[in-house]
Amino acid sequence: MSEPPNDLTYYNRPLLKESVWSIDIPLYYFLGGSAGAAMTLAAALQLASEKGQSDLRRVSAVCHWTGIVGSTLGAVFLVHDLGRPERFLYMMRVFRPTSPMNMGVWILSGAAPASIAAGLLANRRGILGAVGEACGYVAGVFGAALAGYTGVLVSTTAIPVWQAARRWMPVLFLASSASSAAGLIETFAESEAARKVTRVFGTAGRVAELAAAHQVERAASAVPRVGQPLREGATSILWRGATLLTAASLAASLLPGKSRTRRVAAGVLAMAGSLCLRLAVHYVGDASARDARASFQQQRAGEA
Amino acid sequence: MAECHPVGFRWVMKAKERGATIIHIDPRFTRTSAVADVHVPIRAGSDIAFLGGVIRYIIENERYFKEYVVNYTNAAAIVNERFEDSELHDGIFGGWDAEKGEYDAKQWMYEGVDGDPHKHPREPIRAKESDPTLQNPRCVFQILKHHFARYTPEMVEETCGVPARLLLKVAEELCRNSGRERTSAFCYAVGWTQHTTGVQYIRTACIIQALLGNMGRPGGGILALRGHASIQGSTDIPTLYNLLPGYLPMPRAKVDHDFKTYNDLNVSPTGWWGEFRKYSVSLLKAWYGDAATAENDYCFRYLPAMTSDHSHMNTVADMADGKVKGYFVMGENPVVGTVNGALHREGLRALEWLVVRDFQLIETAEFWRDAPEIHRGEIRPQDIGTEVFFFPAATHTEKDGTFTNTQRLLQWHHKAVEPPGDCRSELDFIFKLGQRLKKLYADSPDPKDRPILDMTWDYSVHGPTNDPDAEAVLREINGYTVADGKVVDGFTSLKDDGSTACGCWIYSGCFKDGVNQTMRRKPHWEQNWVASEWAWAWPHNRRTLYNRASADPEGKPWSERKAYVWWDEAEQKWTGHDDPDFITKPPSYRPPADARGKDAISGIDPFLLQSDGKAWLFAPNGLKDGPLPVHYEPQESLVENSLHGQQCNPLRMEWRRKDNPYHQPYHDPRFPYSLTTYRLTEHHTAGGMSRWLSWLSELQPEAFCEVSPELAQETGLQNGGWATIRSARGEIESRVLVTNRMRPLRVRGREIHQIGMPYHWSNKGIVTGDCPNELFPFVADPNVSIMETKAISVSIEPGRRSRERRFITSGPLVEQLPEHAEERDLPGTHRKHTTGHTHETESAKEGNT
Amino acid sequence: MSATLTAGEVVELEKRTAREDTQNRASRKGFFTDTTLCIGCKACEVACKQWNQLPDDGLLFSGLSYDNTLELGASTWRHVAFIERPVALSTQDAGAFSWLFNSDVCKHCARAGCLESCPTGAIIRTEFDSVFVQPDICNGCGYCVMSCPFGVIDRREDDGRAWKCTLCYDRLKADMQPACAKACPTDSIKFGDLEELRETARTRVEQLHEKGMQEAYLYGDDPNRQPGTEGLNAFFLLVEKPEAYNLPPDPIAPAKHAGESWKSLAFGAAGLIALAIGSAFASTRR
Ligand SMILES: Nc1nc2c(c(=O)[nH]1)N[C@H]1C(S)=C(S)[C@@H](COP(=O)(O)OP(=O)(O)OC[C@H]3O[C@@H](n4cnc5c(=O)[nH]c(N)nc54)[C@H](O)[C@@H]3O)O[C@H]1N2
Ligand SMILES: Nc1nc2c(c(=O)[nH]1)N[C@H]1C(S)=C(S)[C@@H](COP(=O)(O)OP(=O)(O)OC[C@H]3O[C@@H](n4cnc5c(=O)[nH]c(N)nc54)[C@H](O)[C@@H]3O)O[C@H]1N2
Ligand code: SF4
Ligand code: SF4
Ligand code: SF4
Ligand code: SF4
Ligand code: SF4
Ligand SMILES: [Mo]
Repeated sequence: MSEPPNDLTYYNRPLLKESVWSIDIPLYYFLGGSAGAAMTLAAALQLASEKGQSDLRRVSAVCHWTGIVGSTLGAVFLVHDLGRPERFLYMMRVFRPTSPMNMGVWILSGAAPASIAAGLLANRRGILGAVGEACGYVAGVFGAALAGYTGVLVSTTAIPVWQAARRWMPVLFLASSASSAAGLIETFAESEAARKVTRVFGTAGRVAELAAAHQVERAASAVPRVGQPLREGATSILWRGATLLTAASLAASLLPGKSRTRRVAAGVLAMAGSLCLRLAVHYVGDASARDARASFQQQRAGEA
Repeated sequence: MAECHPVGFRWVMKAKERGATIIHIDPRFTRTSAVADVHVPIRAGSDIAFLGGVIRYIIENERYFKEYVVNYTNAAAIVNERFEDSELHDGIFGGWDAEKGEYDAKQWMYEGVDGDPHKHPREPIRAKESDPTLQNPRCVFQILKHHFARYTPEMVEETCGVPARLLLKVAEELCRNSGRERTSAFCYAVGWTQHTTGVQYIRTACIIQALLGNMGRPGGGILALRGHASIQGSTDIPTLYNLLPGYLPMPRAKVDHDFKTYNDLNVSPTGWWGEFRKYSVSLLKAWYGDAATAENDYCFRYLPAMTSDHSHMNTVADMADGKVKGYFVMGENPVVGTVNGALHREGLRALEWLVVRDFQLIETAEFWRDAPEIHRGEIRPQDIGTEVFFFPAATHTEKDGTFTNTQRLLQWHHKAVEPPGDCRSELDFIFKLGQRLKKLYADSPDPKDRPILDMTWDYSVHGPTNDPDAEAVLREINGYTVADGKVVDGFTSLKDDGSTACGCWIYSGCFKDGVNQTMRRKPHWEQNWVASEWAWAWPHNRRTLYNRASADPEGKPWSERKAYVWWDEAEQKWTGHDDPDFITKPPSYRPPADARGKDAISGIDPFLLQSDGKAWLFAPNGLKDGPLPVHYEPQESLVENSLHGQQCNPLRMEWRRKDNPYHQPYHDPRFPYSLTTYRLTEHHTAGGMSRWLSWLSELQPEAFCEVSPELAQETGLQNGGWATIRSARGEIESRVLVTNRMRPLRVRGREIHQIGMPYHWSNKGIVTGDCPNELFPFVADPNVSIMETKAISVSIEPGRRSRERRFITSGPLVEQLPEHAEERDLPGTHRKHTTGHTHETESAKEGNT
Repeated sequence: MSATLTAGEVVELEKRTAREDTQNRASRKGFFTDTTLCIGCKACEVACKQWNQLPDDGLLFSGLSYDNTLELGASTWRHVAFIERPVALSTQDAGAFSWLFNSDVCKHCARAGCLESCPTGAIIRTEFDSVFVQPDICNGCGYCVMSCPFGVIDRREDDGRAWKCTLCYDRLKADMQPACAKACPTDSIKFGDLEELRETARTRVEQLHEKGMQEAYLYGDDPNRQPGTEGLNAFFLLVEKPEAYNLPPDPIAPAKHAGESWKSLAFGAAGLIALAIGSAFASTRR
């Protein structure tokens, strides 16, 4: 390692505290994110399908349910990780724009109910149906936020590597969410429509994820020491692994032909890639928190 | 000081903020060094050489405070022509009595004074002749000059491992900051006292302060930083075997046959101790009340008399030899706190009964089931006959009473909470024990039981548990007139006709006007800067002793800046910021030749407890090991004495027994390193008050030793790893802290390494560890029998100790080399094992400060 | 200079500080920790634990100088750092070495990362301008832990809530000064009105410079020199680079640049929606 001349630390002790978050949280990133993207896609399909275009509707429904299951399951992980789960609702005592976590809770609490309503009321007739429609669109918008706000959540902390990548982290999370959401549909929904939707949505998501990941690493490495966990050590294996899986999934989804196995493979790889990415971000953060030099050099370089 | 007296150190830091220079002399770089302006890393055990170097500098460069020295010290006094300096005899003063193995101190006397109190009890110890020009070769000043002539910067460097540059810097700094306008102070504690030459360490500092005129003046003095919260109190009203309250000596069997002899031997013909009889009589009146009458010598015979030296280590050795039946341990944890812990436990095992009063089941109470030799299976609890009684003690927050601090300040503390459960105060325990004894002997006709029956024991009691009233005790200590029981207002009101009673003359006045003066809490910004209205200081609420020295011979302050007390011509009295510590006579007063007692103190004799009212640069009597300090090496040193053939203090106390083996005096191939022990701010002494407390224990959770990177290099020690440290007495293990705060020193061309180790840990409490006192031998200073804990030779190696062996109980750890005693002492200076000193010196204080 | 203070002046000085002790009119309060007065006695650490009845942090020997608690955390709200460095203080004659102490504490940042990040509003700013965690609100989400640029606040294993220095809110309410400041024997920890403290601190630095201690400087006293936190209510006088004391050279409250992330999210989300719609319509074409 090339260190600056006055490489002072306090006995190499960390400056910052590692996150106290358990694996629950990266899982939540994954579930919530996929759910969010699915909701948005659901809304879009809703919009695209004129009455009776049942195959698109069916895909939309699948997406709705993906969103519902994903967001509720995610919420469960989120609550479970709290030191005082019984106080989860205290998150809604306040509306605090400075706290991405607070914003996130509002987003989640907008998205989840809306998508549930949409899911239940879809294909109803009359005004219930109309309400369902409306909820679908609401969920669609909130979903988009849900798919990426966790990127804001991590980069609005003191952890150097996350901070350094703050301009790209949300995009990365969004893209990865799109990729994994598509992956879910690819894996579980087998229809001409589904195939068509995911081909575009998934492919674009994966391309974006790869591009964003590249940008994140670039930004993080502006100060070499800060990007270190992405490039070296166990954490870098997760990080590179995520890229590989996503790339593989992209390749799979680009292969011509309508083979079911190819789609399932692409879907599973995408989900694996996106999950791996969330884990990577989480553990890269911990590694970065343990490295006082990362903060010191980042701040000395005026990059904080 | 920062380490062990952090609260007192507040004022050092305030002084520093105001521009004072802080000098720290210590083998280690400590928390004190960290904030000092100068740190002098010195070889443990060599301070007399260093301070001697300072004395030489002061004299050679004529930097002493001439007017002060001539008038207020005994510099001009002419000494007995028979006096022969240690410089003439390779480290031994003239007058060594090979028979007794002691000095014949009379050879050090002033010219024309015999100095034998038995032959001439009324003979004043004051110079018959003196030479104010200080030129007479036999005057104290010239003797001093020649005595320290060889303590050159080069010699100091040789001996202490301190660069000559540093010595000169310290000496110059002291001189620069002394004189009319400025004063310097010395602070010391057991880094100076716990040596076989401990008392002479302090003497050397006294000489410097007297030469520079820093005694009895504001900002000057030699501050003994005492130990336990009220350890000062426990020497004033002593827990010491050889003293009665107020530094009256304990009667000696075979010497003090009756009260008259006792007084004759202690009443100083001249000086304040001329008042002695008033204090001894009043004490006996306080203890034996109406039973004490002039006819029966005020029950003087009731007092126990010393048959020999009963100081701590002698007593323990006697225990081990089965000469002691029972033992009270109150507020002490000796198996951890005292050197040679194994020998100590051996002693406890030989007792019939042991009483321990403490907060915790400390090692001393648990020696029979939780001790190294027990764990190693060498001793089985069922084989130990000692019956142990443990009493839970109340803490200072659970009882009323006073603390006497380092500044002789008595401060009252109120009971904040009732003690839990069966916990009781010492006062309560002793009082009720006394009551039971009185009951027990109630109708005994036997005269030998009179002391118990005649003892006054009538303190008022209060509270649910009938605690005796601490204030009632303080009243008795203050003293009262027997007729009407009214409190006296000070020791000047005490009489020797039995009309007054006083539990401790120096404390007389602490209950002045029937008011508990020790409770006073007036903040210092509501009074003058001496703050005399905060609590109460002995004697007579004086904050600075001998403060007459703060004024010049005419009685005017040496300077405005340093004005403290002075003679008020108009009022014809001494006055000032503090209570004048002097006689009422004017500066011009000169006593007639036949004057006795305090009338013999002239207007220019500030040091009124001295028989001649002078500060003693040279001590014509009172010390066993010489009138002037001499550099001797510790019992177990790494080097040969660089100044003379006499390696160690010829009068040091040794205990030559198989369970207390000594190393070779120096260059012992088995023990190439020096070990010094000390305290950490985070713990307290033997641990009873800190090792059971998580908040303190977490701060220093394990026993460790401190070594320099160089020594770690040499021995393969790893920071944070384990080390095994050995002496002929035992073997311990500890963690290792490798730090630049420890530094190798160059002494006599060799690089020597010192190992540092705090001694707070042992095998009980929430944090445990081995105690270095397992390594130290019994060996002590002759004057106050304090143990040597600051320097021995040891070996150290990486790794943990063996689980099986420790010398005392399981035979030699190291092959026993013939121990070259002769190398410690010059031929003809050898002394037999010293248990059982004769009692020629008046007051001896035991050393733990 | 100060060396010639008369006893009277010192008494005056003492009076003033004594008054400051108790006058806790609700106003900006803070700490000025002067490390050049610290003797590393840890009384502050213990006083804090005692007053707040905090558990110990484990009984582990670190081998790192005299520091065995190592860092601030959920149960250590004052922490004394011990820096052994091979450099002499410019005013000291003790070889090429010096031992620095610093009693670290929550900085009660003017702009506090922890407070801004707290989703429940458990962390509030008190009438003394201190940053206080309401234990009855905190739900232990742990977000503040990562949002403190000084690594101060932490979540306690056992009770799941986040804890840190309260600036002795309870004592201030009762017109007492904080336990740590009260216990500090050398007044290395000075508590009082922020403005006065800043004054004192600046004069102290000048004083030290006069004495030749050029390396002395203030850390966190001046909002302009620490824009990231807009200044610290608990600031320090140091003699070595912040890094040596494990203090960040240029800390920043994370929320300060959250805007950039939100912007990126906005564009990204728009992109996602567009992509979704795009792919939906694409799929309608047969
Ligand atoms: N926190 C705390 N405070 C205490 C105590 C405690 O246990 N803990 N104990 C109290 C008691 S009982 C006492 S007696 C006092 C003792 O107070 P101190 O005497 O200050 O205590 P020590 O640490 O034993 O010794 C002081 C220093 O002497 C140094 N030293 C050793 N040998 C020599 C030598 O030959 N020459 C010189 N110049 N220095 C030497 C040691 O390195 C050590 O740093 O502290 C009292 N205060
Ligand atoms: N190697 C080495 N050995 C040393 C020293 C050294 O520097 N080096 N220093 C020496 C010195 S100076 C000293 S003073 C000794 C100290 O050694 P000790 O006095 O043997 O050890 P302490 O732990 O001070 O013992 C005091 C005990 O009294 C208890 N106690 C406190 N208050 C009360 C009370 O009110 N009533 C009762 N009944 N008990 C109470 C405490 O719990 C504690 O257990 O150690 C000496 N030993
Ligand atoms: S423990 Fe007591 S005696 Fe020792 S420094 Fe603190 S206050 Fe002073
Ligand atoms: S230091 Fe950390 S914990 Fe303290 S106020 Fe600032 S951000 Fe919050
Ligand atoms: S852990 Fe508590 S204090 Fe910290 S952010 Fe979460 S709710 Fe707020
Ligand atoms: S202010 Fe109170 S809570 Fe904060 S560190 Fe000091 S004592 Fe502890
Ligand atoms: S109490 Fe004061 S002197 Fe002691 S460590 Fe804390 S800040 Fe430093
Ligand atoms: Mo002591």
